[in-house]
Amino acid sequence: MGKPTDLVQGTLDLLIMRTVALEPMHGWGIAQRIHLVSKNTLQVRQGALYPALHRLEQQGWIRAEWRDSENNRRAKYYSLTRAGKKYLEKEQANWERLSSAIGLVLNMAE
Amino acid sequence: MRWLAKIPLRLNSLLRRPAADGELDDEMSFHLEHEIASHMAAGLSLAEARRAALLKFGGLDQLKEECRDMRRTNYIHDLMQDRRYALRMLRKSPGFTAIAVLTLALGIGANTAIFTILNSAALRLLPVPHANQLITVGQQIRGTHGPIHRNVHDDNSFVSYSEYQVYAKQNRVFSALLAYSAFTETTLVTDKPRPIMGTLASCNYFDALEIRPERGRFFSDSDCVAAGESAVVVLSDSAWRGTFGSDPAIIGKAITLNRTPFRVIGIAPPGFEGTVAVASAFWSPLTMVKAFRPATDFLGDNYLSWLAMIGRLKPGVSTRQANANMNVVASGLNSLQSGRVTTVTLNGANLLSMPSLRTPMLIIGGIILAAVGLVLLLACANIANLLLARAAGRRKEIAVRLTVGASRGRLIRQLLTESLLLAFLGGIAGALASYWSVAALFRFTMSHLPTGPELAFALHLNSDWRTWSYAFILSVATACFFGLAPALRASRVDLTLAMKEDGAHSQTGTISSGRMRNILVGVQVSVCMLLLLASGLLLHGLYRAQTVNPGFQMNNVEGAAFDLSGAGYTSERASAFQQQLRQRLASLPGVDQVVQATCIPLSNQHNMTGFSKSGNSKQYEVEYNNVSSNFFHVLGIPVLQGRTFSDAEERSGAHVVVLSQSTARRLFADQNPLGQTVQGGDSYLGKFVPWQVIGVVADAQVANLGNSTKLYLYEPAGPAQQADLNVMVHTAAAAPTIGKEIDTIVGGMDPALNTTIGPLFEVLEFWRQPARVVSVFSGILGTLALLLASLGIYGMVSYGVSRRVREIGIRMALGADNRDVMWLVIRQAMTPVLVGMLAGIVLCAAASSIFSAILFGVSPLDPGSFISMPLFLLGVALLASYIPARRAMRVDPMIALRYE
Repeated sequence: MGKPTDLVQGTLDLLIMRTVALEPMHGWGIAQRIHLVSKNTLQVRQGALYPALHRLEQQGWIRAEWRDSENNRRAKYYSLTRAGKKYLEKEQANWERLSSAIGLVLNMAE
Repeated sequence: MRWLAKIPLRLNSLLRRPAADGELDDEMSFHLEHEIASHMAAGLSLAEARRAALLKFGGLDQLKEECRDMRRTNYIHDLMQDRRYALRMLRKSPGFTAIAVLTLALGIGANTAIFTILNSAALRLLPVPHANQLITVGQQIRGTHGPIHRNVHDDNSFVSYSEYQVYAKQNRVFSALLAYSAFTETTLVTDKPRPIMGTLASCNYFDALEIRPERGRFFSDSDCVAAGESAVVVLSDSAWRGTFGSDPAIIGKAITLNRTPFRVIGIAPPGFEGTVAVASAFWSPLTMVKAFRPATDFLGDNYLSWLAMIGRLKPGVSTRQANANMNVVASGLNSLQSGRVTTVTLNGANLLSMPSLRTPMLIIGGIILAAVGLVLLLACANIANLLLARAAGRRKEIAVRLTVGASRGRLIRQLLTESLLLAFLGGIAGALASYWSVAALFRFTMSHLPTGPELAFALHLNSDWRTWSYAFILSVATACFFGLAPALRASRVDLTLAMKEDGAHSQTGTISSGRMRNILVGVQVSVCMLLLLASGLLLHGLYRAQTVNPGFQMNNVEGAAFDLSGAGYTSERASAFQQQLRQRLASLPGVDQVVQATCIPLSNQHNMTGFSKSGNSKQYEVEYNNVSSNFFHVLGIPVLQGRTFSDAEERSGAHVVVLSQSTARRLFADQNPLGQTVQGGDSYLGKFVPWQVIGVVADAQVANLGNSTKLYLYEPAGPAQQADLNVMVHTAAAAPTIGKEIDTIVGGMDPALNTTIGPLFEVLEFWRQPARVVSVFSGILGTLALLLASLGIYGMVSYGVSRRVREIGIRMALGADNRDVMWLVIRQAMTPVLVGMLAGIVLCAAASSIFSAILFGVSPLDPGSFISMPLFLLGVALLASYIPARRAMRVDPMIALRYE
């Protein structure tokens, strides 16, 4: 099974952290939220989502706890840790710098 | 700091693995339910929604595994799993496991045992408190123009008494600097005089080593003030218990060492037996040296190296600072002799600090370690071979693992775990075996070496962290060596082929695995060849030593050696003693000749000097012997030219010499040596004395067995040598009691004289024993190597045959007869064998000169060994391949072709 490239992996991490930064959320919810917010452009596959969640948890950026979900079913809720919050800010700034730089280059012809 | 926060996370996933797995399941099914619900909301039936959701999910188990991988602790879990699996695999094939573990235990055990000995002698610090502060100081002297005059006793890195005092007073880096002279062999006079080995020490010796007396006291400074004044002695615990029967009242009593009564003042604690590898039975102050060695002025000779030094570093002083300071002190000694440059080297002190002992010990140890290492290599190659064969049998299993998603790295890890487990089992067994047996084996070996009873070793052959880590590292290294190649091979499987085939003929697989097996067998054969050749040479040497004609006859000759000068005889007293002894011995019934010589042939007595031809400055290092004129006649050494000494020459100590034949040839080529003069004496002192050549006798191996061509000459036993002479008695017929009679006579003349008496042929034992021990040792190694190598060849051939049953069947069906098939199999087996043999022969030819010293005149390239041993190995190899090859012959083409 091929691994996603660094850019994609890094991007997914960023999207997940940004999503759980608002409120604690379970895996399904995170996937739905990204799907919705991106206006149905980004589809996060489970095969990528859960390994990413577990990796982020092991790295200490996010933490998980079991809570009752909206339909009274126990679910694993992820939220951002303090270290994760700092890391997110840094990475988000990086990302914005990178994407605007790419934008500049791409729009050069006009 | 973040890694700190991760520890609880890792621990959590490690310890709560089942719980974490349950949570993972819950999480996944939660997601799945939502997915199904959303599909149903879109209008699908439950079954359809479920199918769609699962489809979207992909491989659920694979996903879970990936999530688990993210926990980073999977390596450990995998390891546990692999270990369990490996244990199961090993249990499933107990025969293979037993053979592998046993071979490894042998190999690793032998290596660890040898290492334990080396470790305790050369690596471990002295067995005293704070031993890491103790530094050996060795002195080197160079001359800016020509050699500097120096007398050497024991080792040329030693210092003289006056030099020691300079170092001890002027250094600023040692809290104490001690000096000692070990290997002081003397006579303990009791009702039966016997040799005893001890150490002369400076009076700060025990204080500097921080050793406290078990009983009594150690030396005080006043014991070292005046030369010869303070006859006190400290006994070792084992000497007190052994020689003196644990006498509780020994303190204050007098014991007689070499005629001088010494007062026992203390007993050293158990376990402390001095600062060299040979155990000291006693310690006495340096200033008493005259009582032990009356012939030389040890204290007064400023140019005599005889004292080893050990310093204890002051707190906070580094070795580098000490080195700098001591070299400043050393340079102060340069003014003693013109052109002298004095330097010192500092090393951590251990039992083998003395350079003249350390180097040969380490070389011998290294050779033995290399030999047992080679046997371990053979064992590894065999196990690698077995593993390769097993891997071939497991191709299908491995293919299945690969197909269901195991990565190659994961498979290699699993296979290596099996090898590691094997190696650790073998390593533990081997290390324990060596732990229990090394001391006993060492004692056994030493008791078969020609050492006097006074020579005991101060080695503590127990294991420490170094030996255990050595065994551990060796185990890991062996596991990698024998496990890695098969694991790499086994995990490279062509899936489709492997799944389809039934293991009988996978062409792509066997070609390269066959090559690997060939290489392994080649390596085995070459190592085996090397060991066999070496042991062949040594055995030939042993045979030579036992049957060699030393060039002189030793029947009915009894030798009696004593050290009159060591016992304090002046040459006048010695002369009277010798004359009286000669008369009394000659009057014994049956005795027809009494011979005198400073060196009894082949004993450990050697005289060396420098000689040069007149008018030629080239110096020859020559051994010589002062003998009475009947020496040649009694020992049957023919006089080839000229004559031997006359009585008058003997009485006056005339400067006449008799040369051995090869010496005459070396010095004078085809000139007539008679009447020529040689310049004898010490070139450093500038004193040369002319000696006239009066005769030439046949070469005889009187100094070193197996070597008669070294320069050797005879001088008359004159008045100056009286205190150094020994006697040999020739009887007309065998006289078994002659030794006792000589002993009675010598004992009657001087009861305190330590005399060694024995038939001359007994000294041959002295030469044979080291060779015998080495031969037995190398014979065992060689046999082991042969066994392992033939097993390897057997395994290779029988495996090859079993893989090629079909091919052989086709060949037979096409008309090949038994002989063709046999020839085919054996020819292919012999290729790696012959290549390996050739490599082994070349290796041995290159290495054999190392042990030429114990070959007794057998050439290191001895054709006998170099022809017979390869032929022998070839024969064994043929046999080892013939047995499985016969199976190939019996292949029934019909069955073989239907076998698919």
